[in-house]
Amino acid sequence: MKISYNWLKEYVNFYLSPEELADKLTNVGLVVADIQTVDDDFCMEVEVTSNRPDCLGFIGIAREVVAAVGGSLHFPETDYKTTNKEISKFINVVVEDSMLCPRYTARVVQHINLGPSPEWMQKRLKCIGLRPVNNIVDITNYVMMETGQPLHAFDLDKLSDKKIVVRKAMSGEEIVAINGARRALFHDMLVIADSKRPIAIAGIMGGKETEVCDSTRNILLECAQFEPRQVRRTSKTLGITSDSSYRFERGVDTEGVDFASRRAVKLIKEYAGGEVANGVIDIRSRKHAASKITLRMERLHKVLGIEIKRDVASDILKRLQFNVLNEVDDFIDVEVPSFREEIYREIDLIEEIARIYGFNNIPTKTSISVRGSVKSKYEVVEDCIRQFLIGMGFYEVKTFSIVDTSPLQSVNLWSDKSGIDIANPLRQEESRLRTCLLPSLINAKRYNENHGIEQVRIFEIAKVYLAGDKLPQEKTCLSILADTDFFTLKGIVSALLLNLGISSRCEWTVFSELRLFADERAARIQSGNITIGYIGEASKELGFKTSPCMVELDMDYFVESSNISKKYQALSQYPHVLRDLAIIVDEEVTWVSIEKCVMSAKASFLKEINFFDVYRGKQIPSGKKSIAFNICFQAADRTLKSEEVDAAQQIVLDALYKTLGAELRK
Amino acid sequence: MMKHIEEVKNNLQDEIKLVTTLKDADQLKIKYLGRKGIINDLMRIIPTIPSDQRASFGQQINSLKVEITNIIEELIKKFSSETVPKAKKEIFDVTLPGKHPFVGKRHPLTQTIDDIKEVFARLGFDVAYGPEVESEYYNFEALNIPADHPSRTDFDTFYIKNDVLLRSQTSTVQIRIMEKQKPPIRIIAPGRVYRPDTVDARHSFMFHQVEGLLVDEGVSFADLKGVLNQFIKTYFGQNVQMRLRPSFFPFTEPSAEVDISCSICGGNGCSVCSYSGWVEILGAGMVDPNVFKAVHYDAEKYTGFAFGMGVERITMLKYGINDIRLFYENDMRFLSQF
Ligand SMILES: [Zn+2]
Repeated sequence: MKISYNWLKEYVNFYLSPEELADKLTNVGLVVADIQTVDDDFCMEVEVTSNRPDCLGFIGIAREVVAAVGGSLHFPETDYKTTNKEISKFINVVVEDSMLCPRYTARVVQHINLGPSPEWMQKRLKCIGLRPVNNIVDITNYVMMETGQPLHAFDLDKLSDKKIVVRKAMSGEEIVAINGARRALFHDMLVIADSKRPIAIAGIMGGKETEVCDSTRNILLECAQFEPRQVRRTSKTLGITSDSSYRFERGVDTEGVDFASRRAVKLIKEYAGGEVANGVIDIRSRKHAASKITLRMERLHKVLGIEIKRDVASDILKRLQFNVLNEVDDFIDVEVPSFREEIYREIDLIEEIARIYGFNNIPTKTSISVRGSVKSKYEVVEDCIRQFLIGMGFYEVKTFSIVDTSPLQSVNLWSDKSGIDIANPLRQEESRLRTCLLPSLINAKRYNENHGIEQVRIFEIAKVYLAGDKLPQEKTCLSILADTDFFTLKGIVSALLLNLGISSRCEWTVFSELRLFADERAARIQSGNITIGYIGEASKELGFKTSPCMVELDMDYFVESSNISKKYQALSQYPHVLRDLAIIVDEEVTWVSIEKCVMSAKASFLKEINFFDVYRGKQIPSGKKSIAFNICFQAADRTLKSEEVDAAQQIVLDALYKTLGAELRK
Repeated sequence: MMKHIEEVKNNLQDEIKLVTTLKDADQLKIKYLGRKGIINDLMRIIPTIPSDQRASFGQQINSLKVEITNIIEELIKKFSSETVPKAKKEIFDVTLPGKHPFVGKRHPLTQTIDDIKEVFARLGFDVAYGPEVESEYYNFEALNIPADHPSRTDFDTFYIKNDVLLRSQTSTVQIRIMEKQKPPIRIIAPGRVYRPDTVDARHSFMFHQVEGLLVDEGVSFADLKGVLNQFIKTYFGQNVQMRLRPSFFPFTEPSAEVDISCSICGGNGCSVCSYSGWVEILGAGMVDPNVFKAVHYDAEKYTGFAFGMGVERITMLKYGINDIRLFYENDMRFLSQF
């Protein structure tokens, strides 16, 4: 809310510069975001939190100034003379829905002189960004700013049958609002109507047809309270907001309604002349029931961690216009004023006292108990993976969890259900929760390529969202995209698994997902019968200048199966013996079958087998390939003799020949 | 045989006197120490001398060789410093740049989260996580934000369907944890949150928060200040000042916005702090009794505090980053800076 520095002085005396005032207000919770000089005045932008509708008027802010710096609150004048004509002769008001309109007041002023409002008023309104219109409209705005209570003036002579009905809109009705917007009204909206038609959208905006205009002589001044939720919903549906709806949505003081009405009539009489009809129409279904709260000083102490004296606390409450009923021993009984309905508990009073006492006057204690924090397994694994990959030269990226619905983004490696759509997306580009991280990494790669960076090594640890029962399954994945060849990336994945102490062997079988991977150049990675990831060369269709490879892995599996605790293995005292071999096999024979065959050959002292390379070409018959590797022999208790190794090697070669038809390459 | 050696020595002395240039010295070196030089000639006669004298002769040649080498090297050194630049020799240019290994980096937001986790770990806070897709209850009701309450308008939210939404705050984790555990509780919860904000330099529909919660007997607002002050001094620097302003969050009471003195201008005012000298970095407060009620804690017995901070905001402040979108573009030129 914008306030004028000079105007505020109407309600409270203070001797503070605008900056000092801003500081004081900020310290009690009314942040002053900006101060602008306007002629000889200052416009201050005050941020009012949604729980403080009472501060949407100058009087409310003045009350905070009193609480913060002392002094007393000056209420503006509301006295005026009336004629002896009873208001009931001019208007008949019916409130059909008292739930949505707990209080409705109307006053009538006849024979007004429409014209400009006084200069001082125009100046104040302009200072806070309101455009002066005429004396009647300006006065309703002025009083709204003063009290926080919106008002509306109708041209009395334009109301059919001298009737006001506060009712729900009927189907087919529509209205043209003062701002020119034509809106169809729906049955759940509250309107102010005359005998024939809606003349205002309750609490939001008046209608064009009955607004005060040059020809207006007699006015009806409406000052009411409307139910906040109703106003909010209608305002949202119609797409119309106003200073008035802003206040009603947050709630106005039911006891302040008549005051604001009288204040406005007083100003109208003074600056637009006219005759005020006697009395007021005041239809109300609700009276403020003042909450009574007991504050225990001991509780105040416990929550804030500081002992505040009872008289200091009660003085703060009094300055905030709480009615202190009783203060004895360790207790203060208060009655909450009508404009602070959000306060109904002891803790609310504690907050009020803390706020005015000053958060910065409460000590900063370091007396919490000592406690050692423990890293969860997830954290340990995540740190381990990140460190490993960063050590391997990878950059971590972060991409959005909400993606578009393109075929690429629709890839789902983890479930056959489709992705979860957002019901109220801002844009189609961000309308679905992702089921796969790789498309986002592909986009990151593309972004970099477009900016001249062709080689990337990136990874992300994030969730994918798989349709579930009520809430989706959130699966944490690790995805990597790198400008390396397939086997380099595979090696990195294997090393990562080893680093996490996952010793179980993985199976790598050919896999096809053509939106991501090149045909026949991708694999599913399985451990036992659990799929733990997918790896492959990026599809050429993705159109990269380079040929990156990528992998998406199941982090949850990593966390479950990792074994970070290490155990020392005694180092062998005796040397191992390496034998380099090259065998010629059919093209179809895979490395894994060779490995299996060798390891199950029952050759003595055989420890491991290490792949070197594959060779096809000269000297190798077509349809065959040569595979080179070494095998490692070692005994735990002695140095092996050459003959022993020869014998073991022969067993391996025999097994290879028998099972795979492999011949030793000479 | 000894005569040979003496002779060589004498000849050398004479020849040294004739050396006037580096070239002369080099020639002398070849003459005496070269492959076909005088020393090697002497070596070659070793096999021809009687076997009982070989050892001592060998030794003498060796010491002669050392002596001559020293003398000639001295000469070479002397003349090479005097002579005009000779034919250029390849130099070992130590100023050439090193070969860059692949060096990876954590994302700057991860770095911030890790730093925050580390500071709070020292204060005894464990890390907790919760789901990002939540039921309305955890995002709103349990946090004392009833349906249709005015404060709901402060929390625009992405919905999946009725009652299921993308969490708009990590405060949801408070409820998840308190439902599972009894006090004392001391956790921080980092994670992604979502709000339907149109993307610009300051807003993103997805961002990160770190939530903190401490519940125990006898926890006060003064303790909240103590813990936050400790965090701020450790994370932002010992000279940084903290300021609390009253504010409003439905799930805490009293509620505060926490500012730190602007490190850019040192509190004098600059564009980063909107000329106020203070920068807002987190929201905090004492856990509202209604939140305790939702998780069936005795609000008379236990008190606690909660706080939440925006990871992007803190990272932007720390590095002077002026556009939040940079975090999600993943430009290598950006990521490599941190
Ligand atoms: Zn600054």
